[in-house]
Amino acid sequence: MAHATSIQYEPVAEIGGGAYGTVYKARDTESGQFVALKSVRVQTDQNGLPISTVREVALLRRLEQFDHPNVVRLMDVCATQRSDQETKVTLVFEHVDQDLKTYLERAPAPGLSPGRIKDLMRQLLCGLTFLHSNRVMHRDLKPENILVTSQGQVKLADFGLARIYSCHMALTPVVVTLWYRPPEVLLQSSYATPVDIWSTGCIFAEMFRRKPLFCGESEVDQLGKIFEVIGLPPEDEWPTDVTLSRKNFPPLMPRPIADFVSEITEQGAQLLLNMLTFDPLKRISALNALEHPYFQDEETLTQTKS
Amino acid sequence: MTLVDELATAAAKGNTADVEYLLQEGAQVNGVNCFGRTALQVMMMGSTPVAKVLLKYGADPNVADTSTGTTPLHDAARTGFVDTVRLLVEYLADPQARDNTNCRPIDLARANGHEDVVAFLESL
Repeated sequence: MAHATSIQYEPVAEIGGGAYGTVYKARDTESGQFVALKSVRVQTDQNGLPISTVREVALLRRLEQFDHPNVVRLMDVCATQRSDQETKVTLVFEHVDQDLKTYLERAPAPGLSPGRIKDLMRQLLCGLTFLHSNRVMHRDLKPENILVTSQGQVKLADFGLARIYSCHMALTPVVVTLWYRPPEVLLQSSYATPVDIWSTGCIFAEMFRRKPLFCGESEVDQLGKIFEVIGLPPEDEWPTDVTLSRKNFPPLMPRPIADFVSEITEQGAQLLLNMLTFDPLKRISALNALEHPYFQDEETLTQTKS
Repeated sequence: MTLVDELATAAAKGNTADVEYLLQEGAQVNGVNCFGRTALQVMMMGSTPVAKVLLKYGADPNVADTSTGTTPLHDAARTGFVDTVRLLVEYLADPQARDNTNCRPIDLARANGHEDVVAFLESL
């Protein structure tokens, strides 16, 4: 780990703050490019950095060696000792100057073409398949951390950080969006890689709608909004280890997904429902999603410019 | 955080509604944030709507980065966002500006393979 962050990377704006630390847009004064600096403060003892932090950073660096086109580059990792008890670890990531939120807002009416949506989805799922096959969960996929270059290339950002953060940070209250969270996270049940597929489903729908699918204001409200679309799940699918009872929700039937996502094709709707499946064990995987018939027609392989 | 810090952050995050709101609240469009940069210098280059609001409010497109001499047009050209490039030029960003490595925006666009940006800047 290098010790010279402040010299090579000059922060120019704060772009994220949260429970875990601060994120800056910065300029790499050597290359002239923008980068994203993500810092975590970790407690240290006489043995130096906690082994869990070292492991997580090592995992991110290992991923980097694959040079996957659909995840942002990890360019550098720096550690600065701040006191005997605290070290600041700074991860330097590639910065892409457009996110999916902006990309969708910028698309002229009536929105993105079906082919463009399919291409974005394919790239997103390629990135996710890569992360999941390396046992990395994103846990917080949303349009703000799905980046789109001017050439239309999708790059996932902010993956693999959740664990570093949650290991060491006393969680301070911050506003985090619930809109892309799957039921098992909202119910505080156990969860794994299927969480990212749920979020991907929400984002898939949003590409057509150009507005979010489920805009809940609290965990319970978010679940209620989900059930208004997918219906109340059967009793035997409700997780047993949760405090919130199924009885808190009205017995809603699933509604046709086309009521909420018009212009989606039959096969697109089918894939969307496979992603928005309540039971994480029955939810489609990223790899299987890529093999879904939705992606099988050939005319959509073109990468159009933004 | 000062109003200008908030403006720069909103611009960097591509949050057009917040940028507009902060400007209406009296944030100085050419004020510098705690890192010494204006909102236009740090904006999300792909967010043409943010660029448009800032420029309409009188943002100076020819402020160069104090460390590298980079102007917003250099950054937009390097990252290939042709709509933002066009808009900056429309608001009189200097296409001949040179950064500290003596590069013009068109040189950066060319080095990064953004042919549409190169073609546009050549046409000027």
